[in-house]
Amino acid sequence: MNSTSKPLHIQLQSFLLARKNYYELLHLLFLVPTNDEFLLIIRNYGNLQELEEIHEGGRILRNFFDHLTDEQIQREYEEFHRLFVGPGPLVAPPWESYYRSREHLLFEEWTYQIREQYHHFGLQFKNENNEPDDHLLFELEFMVRLVDLCLQETRTEEIVALISSQIHFLEKHLTIWVPYFCKRIIEHTSSQLYLGAAMLLEDLLSFDLTTLLEVREALSSVRQEESERAIIK
Amino acid sequence: MSDKKNLKELLSNKMQRRTFLKWSGAIGIPVIAGGVGTKMLIDHKEESKPVSAKAVEKVISTCSINNCGGRCVIKAHVKDGVVVRVSTDTQVSGDLSTPPLRACVRGRNYRNMLYHSDRLKYPMKRVGKRGEGKFKRISWEEAIETIASEVKRIGDKYGPESRYVNYASGQSWGLHGGKNAARKLLALTGGFLNYRNDYSSGAGNVATPYTYGTNNSGSSFDSLLHSKYIILWGQNPSEMIFSTPYREYLMQAKKNGAKIIVIDPRYTDTAIAFADEWIPILPTTDNAMMDAMGYVIITEKLHDQAFLDKYCLGFDGDHMPEGVAKEESLKSYLLGEKDGVKKTPEWAEKICGVPAGKIREIARDYANTKPAALIQGWAAQRQAYGEQFMRGGAQLACLTGNVGKLGGWAAGTGYWSRSDIVYPFSYENPVKASIPCFLWTKAVEKGTEMTAADGLEGTEKLATNIKCIFNMAGNMLINQHADINKTTKLLEDESKVEFIVVSDIFMTPSAKYADILLPGTTFFERYDIGVPWCFGDYVVFGDKTIDPLYECRDEYDVFAEVADKLGLKEKFTEGKTTLDLVKESVERTRKELAPDFPSFEEFRKNGVHHFKYDEPLIGFKEQIDDLEKHPFETPSGKIELFSKALWDMNQHDEIPAIAKYIPSWEGPQDPMKKKFPLQLISWHYKRRCHSTYDNQAWLEEAAKQEMWMNPKDAEKRGIKDGDRVQVFNERGSLIIDVKVTPRITPGVAGIPQGAWYTPDQAGIDQRGSVNVLTSQKPTALAKSNPQLTNLVEVKKA
Repeated sequence: MNSTSKPLHIQLQSFLLARKNYYELLHLLFLVPTNDEFLLIIRNYGNLQELEEIHEGGRILRNFFDHLTDEQIQREYEEFHRLFVGPGPLVAPPWESYYRSREHLLFEEWTYQIREQYHHFGLQFKNENNEPDDHLLFELEFMVRLVDLCLQETRTEEIVALISSQIHFLEKHLTIWVPYFCKRIIEHTSSQLYLGAAMLLEDLLSFDLTTLLEVREALSSVRQEESERAIIK
Repeated sequence: MSDKKNLKELLSNKMQRRTFLKWSGAIGIPVIAGGVGTKMLIDHKEESKPVSAKAVEKVISTCSINNCGGRCVIKAHVKDGVVVRVSTDTQVSGDLSTPPLRACVRGRNYRNMLYHSDRLKYPMKRVGKRGEGKFKRISWEEAIETIASEVKRIGDKYGPESRYVNYASGQSWGLHGGKNAARKLLALTGGFLNYRNDYSSGAGNVATPYTYGTNNSGSSFDSLLHSKYIILWGQNPSEMIFSTPYREYLMQAKKNGAKIIVIDPRYTDTAIAFADEWIPILPTTDNAMMDAMGYVIITEKLHDQAFLDKYCLGFDGDHMPEGVAKEESLKSYLLGEKDGVKKTPEWAEKICGVPAGKIREIARDYANTKPAALIQGWAAQRQAYGEQFMRGGAQLACLTGNVGKLGGWAAGTGYWSRSDIVYPFSYENPVKASIPCFLWTKAVEKGTEMTAADGLEGTEKLATNIKCIFNMAGNMLINQHADINKTTKLLEDESKVEFIVVSDIFMTPSAKYADILLPGTTFFERYDIGVPWCFGDYVVFGDKTIDPLYECRDEYDVFAEVADKLGLKEKFTEGKTTLDLVKESVERTRKELAPDFPSFEEFRKNGVHHFKYDEPLIGFKEQIDDLEKHPFETPSGKIELFSKALWDMNQHDEIPAIAKYIPSWEGPQDPMKKKFPLQLISWHYKRRCHSTYDNQAWLEEAAKQEMWMNPKDAEKRGIKDGDRVQVFNERGSLIIDVKVTPRITPGVAGIPQGAWYTPDQAGIDQRGSVNVLTSQKPTALAKSNPQLTNLVEVKKA
């Protein structure tokens, strides 16, 4: 019995921080590229040379950010609008309910489900009922918030519950619709930024889900040990 | 313990080998909460109401104010601020004084329209060339500022006649709407160039008054319950909803034993649902058949001589206006006394394709079966000589004495109205100059050269061409106006029209030509009252169901802010919101027009108000009962089968004083037919209201965009049902799927109007937008749109 190991939340910290960084990177990649400041942050702090080694999307992004110019940012701005904002038919509408409803509408039941999740954690989309709650950016932000909650938590049981919530959100939402969203981008864009971002987004979400499932399983055995120890005492 | 379950092992060893976790670089990026991205998830403001109350579904009754002839009741089921479904009027049918106002397939789709991902969401300004479709999102502040300064700049530089609010019908049957808001702003800042008339019944609106003195030649629909014989001439109420309950009355008329004849180049849904007989006819030749019917009626002495003698001018030589020769009479024309051509059914058959025997039979039945209603649709007057069609129908109604009688029908434009509400939103335009609405492109190109001969009124000459256009909830800027290729070229020249503002809910072909593009609201997102076209004894409450989505704004509020920028807000709003306008309309309607009208709260609760009457309204009953006291509003006080006013225009070939068949340019007798052998018409499709809803998937499923073509014509060209074909003439070319069907007359092709112009790289429309093939040449008298007069050729694409 290894009773000298560090507290659980300390053990998990670097794993959680890495995940938070991924979600924050993804969030940055899908923000409107008006302000080159955050594109520069990605370039300067994103450690893209490492990302390049581990993922094809990372390689494409590295290449893109290596050649970042003002003209390029302007082109990405236009592409961002063509893909996600309009005016006009959107190439890849960035809302969950678009992909899940039979009629490709917004504000469908999935928007509600997402809203309930936010509310459950004491959160609320700022423009509730004005724009749909299930925009990619808000769902990613929500994941960041859940990871943050995890990072602040010390009780094993609560950590397990929070991880379960993230699994639920990935399983029932993000990993269901995002692949369709990414497919549309990958098939219809010649932008290296959005091609790389879409490839990375899709793979990261499924990777995160797999990993979280394993962590949860491992945690359940830790909890079992804990409760066994409690009984022995 | 298995390796898999060991957390330490997992985190410290296994994970580290995982590819993604090798990346550690981004630690320390200041993100969402910190700075770069805006934090969009905020602390939840817990509402005090219990959870169970939140889930309650509220039903809010509202209505659309698009340019449909009907107004249906739309019930929005709202839960937690979201419309979760729509339903419609649940009133049972049977009592024709309160007919149900049920939505058709278009109304059932409204939720899909509301929550469509392509909604225009934010104000935009053009960044590429005009029409290229490149826009940049801007703030409302910038949009308002730009509009205010351009309105002023262009007004100062060119004068008020340079500013124009284009014909637009996306929000046309309510109390306010973008078009009126724009007009009021312009009226308060010096004025704007007016337009007259419309694209629906433009030729008729000008022609019918020459016969009857008014366009109000119709009778209320309940009068049809007394008709024994009904001719629907080019009218298709099964698809083109003239008034929501109209079909209910037609069905009852049929049950009462009326025989119903449909005359139309297509075997329409109306023919299927109502007709005892379908008479196919070639477009532009209706007056040949009408002339022949008149010939049969008078040669067989079936005409109502007493009626003609008493009420009409110009039937025969004894009833001509002073100074006009006897042989100019209608009778003389039909008998061929002057031109040597008797307008026999055999003569007409060669022109219009309807067998002579059939023409005789219909003429006899129409004259003998009384009362009979000849009801004219407006498709056949959207023709080169559409004025003749409208007056020709009226002429037959007079020959048979069916005017002013219960169960009869005076024909002509056929408006009728006896129920009204007060419209409190008003403006007065200091500019008096007006153009026919169809000639707006001419006023852009050479407005200063226009004269009275082009229909310019209110001034001798215009001081300027049009330099600034407001296009509010309309698609006439590109899609619905004739000759799209000509119009796009005109608007692409930024030195001509200098500033275009478009407000809409989707990126229509017209919206693409905006300089400032505004995201408008749907009817769910604003207050209004919806009225039907002139035909109907009902009004529908338009409740605001949800707040405007995204950054969408009602145009009333937009122009109130523009007015504010110019220091005129108080004058613009008079301190009222749109809700105040609705309340004022209700209160004043009760006070000034209809004491029975419900209060605001009652009206809101019921969603609809039916005006009730003891008996049908019969067009011209007053005049027929007592002509002395109630003369017709014509110069002679009589029905002018022969119009001296038209005669005096002295253009007898194209503007005759009596209605007659005039061989049409691009008609079946035009030599151009050798090159372009098919007549092309369009129709109002059941899946769209004009061009509204073209981007709605459900409706495309209900009725896809396709061209109808007769098997004989298809075979000649090696075309099979379902083929993709190219349709072209000298004005343009489009690609469309073809439906090969005997439901359309040989020699005629039909494309449903309103599909959104979708050019490919080479500029060839891929959607079947009929106006790439139509002409801007106006009708002779009304200067109206001849958009159903076209010759084309078709080949496999």
